[in-house]
Amino acid sequence: MGEMPTISLPSSEFFMVGPFTITNSVITTLTVSLILIVLAFLIKRKAGVIPSRSQVIFESLLNFILDKMIMAFGSRERALKFFPLYFTIFLFLLIGNQFMLIPFAESIVTEDGVNLFRSPASDYSLPIVFTLFILILSHILALAIRPIKHIGSFIKIEQFFKIKSIKDLPMAFLDFFLGLLDIIGEFAKLASLSTRLFGNMFAGSIIVGIIASLTTFTQFLVPIPFIALGILSGVVQAFVFVMLGSLYISAPLNAVKPVEETN
Amino acid sequence: MELEAARLMAAGLCMGIGAIGSGIGEGIVGGKALEAMGRNPKMADKIFTNMIIAIALAESTAIYSLVIALIILFG
Repeated sequence: MGEMPTISLPSSEFFMVGPFTITNSVITTLTVSLILIVLAFLIKRKAGVIPSRSQVIFESLLNFILDKMIMAFGSRERALKFFPLYFTIFLFLLIGNQFMLIPFAESIVTEDGVNLFRSPASDYSLPIVFTLFILILSHILALAIRPIKHIGSFIKIEQFFKIKSIKDLPMAFLDFFLGLLDIIGEFAKLASLSTRLFGNMFAGSIIVGIIASLTTFTQFLVPIPFIALGILSGVVQAFVFVMLGSLYISAPLNAVKPVEETN
Repeated sequence: MELEAARLMAAGLCMGIGAIGSGIGEGIVGGKALEAMGRNPKMADKIFTNMIIAIALAESTAIYSLVIALIILFG
């Protein structure tokens, strides 16, 4: 039994910039953003009618996500409105989840023995910020379009006004309490979407660490299948996060304003 | 029982029991998806992406218990 790797749920703090604490996952987040910006400029510089190799990859990725989002939103115009938001999140997670594969990224250690880089989604603050942003945006948009109808989908008192006989009263009460349950469901969305991303990415890094630290012999070849599994789950989770996120915005929007009314 | 032993046992039980349901669920999703692909190979791409989403959803309960187990162990 070798030395267990140090596993910490919160990421390690380095220094403060004003009120903000700079942790190792923040550094990685900024690095990934930098990579994305550089990639964008490189692809844009070469972009043209005859596509370069990187442009083909980028465009097929773009079409893939756009097709799925059109399916979720039900109309192309509405999907295109939200496309930049979701595609940015997708690209960020796609690169951020694979960031630790960069050679020596995991071996760079500061004087205190703290890793300089840490996969951004394996710190709980990043998934919860993305999820909160998506959920709050969905409610603000639905409230801005039709406030009464959106609130009415949670506090369902309209059934009480439609009662014709005393027999309808239990159904109206049932509807009312189901609406209250939907409010709890909104918080469940927040917990489930953010925890799914965080749990997968955190577990992926921990499993490799534990396997490598079991014995001296398991340090070299044995972790490879687990790293491959981590790559797969990183891609899949980026995709799933974007798909579920687009469902969370499209469902309340389509409920308060069906697609047919816009065109 | 000592506190440390109780913590280790709690983490193990949490992970083990929590993974049962999602294991069964993922098996059903994968099996049914393969069945559908075998019946209708033209739709295989569409079924595959939907299968991935369904598997990720079924996996979530196991992930919750994993997070709880990690919080018990290292939190």
